[in-house]
Amino acid sequence: MDSSEARHYLQGLLNKDLRIHTTDGRMFRGTFMCTDPDTNVVISRTHEYRQPSASQRAAAAQNSTGTSVTLDMTSRFLGLVVVPGEHIVKMEVEQFASQMRHSTAIV
Amino acid sequence: MTFNPGIDVPDELSRLSLGQDTPPRIRDAPELNSTGTIPVDITEKFKKASSALQPGEIVKDEFFTLFESVGALEIMDPKMDSGCVKAGDEFEELYDVSKPLLPEEVLGIIDQLLCHEMSWHLGYPLSQTVFTSVYVEALMMPNPTHIDEAMFVRRGNTQANAEPMLQVLRAYCLGMLKACAYVNERVKSEHYYEEEDFVTNTYNRTLLGSLSTADIRAELNSALNLVQKQQEHMGGDMVEALSSRLKLRDIFLSAAECPQFVAQPDLARQPWEAALMLLPTIKATHNLSKAVDESFSVKLQRKLASTVPPRPIVKLSFENAFGHLDRLFKDGCELINVLSYTNSQCLQTFLRHFQAKKPQPLVYVRTLLQTFLFDAMEMLGGMSIRMIMDDDLAIISLPASPYLDRANDDIEVLHDPRFIIAQQMEAFRKRAAEPFLDIFRTFCQNRCRVRRTLCHNIERWDQLQADAEQLDLELQVRAQEVKLAGQKFSPNTIPVEGDAWSLSMWTYLYKLRQMEWIVQLGFELEVYQPDELAGMYWYLSYLSKTRIEYVPRLRKTLTERVKELRESPAQNRRDPAMERQMLRTLEWIRLSLLDAVITWGLSEALAGLYTACSRLDLLTPPPRPYSNDELRYELRMKPFAKIETPGLPTFEQFAAHASQQDVSTEELLVEASKAMTDAKRACESMSKMTPEESFSVGSHDRWLVSIKNTLKSCIATGLAIATVQKAMREDTTGGQLKLTVEVPTPDKTYHECWIVPRIASKST
Repeated sequence: MDSSEARHYLQGLLNKDLRIHTTDGRMFRGTFMCTDPDTNVVISRTHEYRQPSASQRAAAAQNSTGTSVTLDMTSRFLGLVVVPGEHIVKMEVEQFASQMRHSTAIV
Repeated sequence: MTFNPGIDVPDELSRLSLGQDTPPRIRDAPELNSTGTIPVDITEKFKKASSALQPGEIVKDEFFTLFESVGALEIMDPKMDSGCVKAGDEFEELYDVSKPLLPEEVLGIIDQLLCHEMSWHLGYPLSQTVFTSVYVEALMMPNPTHIDEAMFVRRGNTQANAEPMLQVLRAYCLGMLKACAYVNERVKSEHYYEEEDFVTNTYNRTLLGSLSTADIRAELNSALNLVQKQQEHMGGDMVEALSSRLKLRDIFLSAAECPQFVAQPDLARQPWEAALMLLPTIKATHNLSKAVDESFSVKLQRKLASTVPPRPIVKLSFENAFGHLDRLFKDGCELINVLSYTNSQCLQTFLRHFQAKKPQPLVYVRTLLQTFLFDAMEMLGGMSIRMIMDDDLAIISLPASPYLDRANDDIEVLHDPRFIIAQQMEAFRKRAAEPFLDIFRTFCQNRCRVRRTLCHNIERWDQLQADAEQLDLELQVRAQEVKLAGQKFSPNTIPVEGDAWSLSMWTYLYKLRQMEWIVQLGFELEVYQPDELAGMYWYLSYLSKTRIEYVPRLRKTLTERVKELRESPAQNRRDPAMERQMLRTLEWIRLSLLDAVITWGLSEALAGLYTACSRLDLLTPPPRPYSNDELRYELRMKPFAKIETPGLPTFEQFAAHASQQDVSTEELLVEASKAMTDAKRACESMSKMTPEESFSVGSHDRWLVSIKNTLKSCIATGLAIATVQKAMREDTTGGQLKLTVEVPTPDKTYHECWIVPRIASKST
């Protein structure tokens, strides 16, 4: 990928909602604002999502009667954040299911 | 720093009740498993694309500025990211809220919570104070919709909730959180400065918004009963310690609800007094407590919706916190006095002295004061702004004046001069109401803001003065017309003087007072360096001298009128209220003159003393490589530069007056001493005034203290002058005098406005 192609691709992603998974297992969902050659990513209006902790899981398992339990991820609002590239393990872009049939431009 | 809008927006706008009942906007986290959107993995492609960028190149949204990105939280940086969990550390705070507690531990936690609550009142955010308690978190999350949901343990071991000590702690926490909710709402509804004064952010928590105060009161009551029953187990002291704290929570809720009794000061005062009775018990029983530090954790910040980095828990000692709590209730108690209105000048005296207290009343008390003053466009719960303004105009420049006669309002003939007078007075009120009310509003703010806002106010008063002069002319013409047409004003008014500049005089006097306050606040807030004091005190004396020359204008005519009235035969005597009004204005003139004489005399004396000190090389200016006297003069006088009258002296005039080159140092000190004596005499006669004479009904004690402190400042100035004079007489060598000069900070003086230097002989 040459640099102009790369720029074009990244510009196409601007203002789309990204989900960024970090090395510690958290996920951040926010609107893509900015990135640089080290893949530091700035996202705005960000929510943090966290897997239930071990103790929460144990408590839920104790209370449930069935064989499996469903727990929601806990979330909170953070605002504008920058996720350093070195901590990113996975990135996803949210696409509308209705539009995916017609367009393959992004992926 | 966020600027709280509203202080500039017309009052009507900021006080609209629209939308106040809606709950705070909560940004719900988007649903992750929605069927409408599908996440598509782009990790590899994104990384490849970004690494293909040139070094230093960035891709960004065109409306996104790098300036904004400075405020972004850096994820995984332990200093920035409150959610970052260090390796080997637990995310959750593992403290168990269901574990049984000893009474002394409950007492300890309660007192720790009290410290946190007071830290919040002092300006720290909830996230570093109250919200660091594991118990508070357990009660608030998830947000309880019913009192039975607000339990420490909601799942699992629920029988732990029945533990009596935990019930006591729970009731205390509920009462505290509800009180915090009241305080937060009160502060938010008035003018305050976020970050400077108070942080209202609740991080998306509602502070028990869905629970009723009555329910919480019931919980507090049953906890109180529970404590009484435990007498045998815990002993009398512990019972007293816990009950007094539970009672305080109940009283705090009543105190927070006191604005509903704005028309019944006695009822409004009750909770504040009740709290003051309880406080000594709380203080005395603190030593029974045992702190439980583990029940507070900075980790709870991980769960708050917060755009700020993690910050440490605020530590305030109990003694310190208790001092603030005590002050809160004492100030609250004193605040209720404002509800007993005498006249607008007494109200202003109250405001000025209440706000000049050191330390200044807490922001909650100050916002309560604003509520009392301005709530629902009525002052003090039932007076219109016109009533207050007319009262003030009558005191200062229009006693028993036909201009203020409400009978003029009833005239409906359009060309009747009295109708026109009523209209023109209304026009003046409309124009003057904002600047006038802003004086009250301004004095409710923190001290730095008071000075800053006054600097803006005086410009508007300056414009108002031009309007007032115009109106005065027109009113004089109309008053003549009334006379010529053989019409009459209401018999309870005195005839209008041909050259009475009543409105512009009122305006000018207010402007002068505010200019003096700005300079005086400058001393209090340590705006000026020691070597600038001579010049600034000279400017203050210049302002107050202008006032001395201006005030007596009305005096002569008024004295004559009063004499006439008294000598006229009894059957011709009119309304005694009229005479009272004129006498009241004479009293005000006397007070105002004495006050101006004190300000002039003492500032003149200090200016002379400081000039002498710098001539004798007793005060050396600090090195200022990038500044000179002229530039600094321009900076200091910036607030006054645009004011037309009294005009700002040029720098050359200022320098000549401040340095007084043509006067010898000996003469300078003699003059200073004379001025000080004048000020001292004025202080002495003022200190003998009754509350009515001194327009300080409702705050006379505090006013008197201020006068006595000014008197002490006079005496100290006199001593300082005498010390220099003596040293000069004894000095035969003509060299450096053997004196030390110390310029104290305002908190170490008798009166913040009067920075009297401490001069002593050098002990060799």
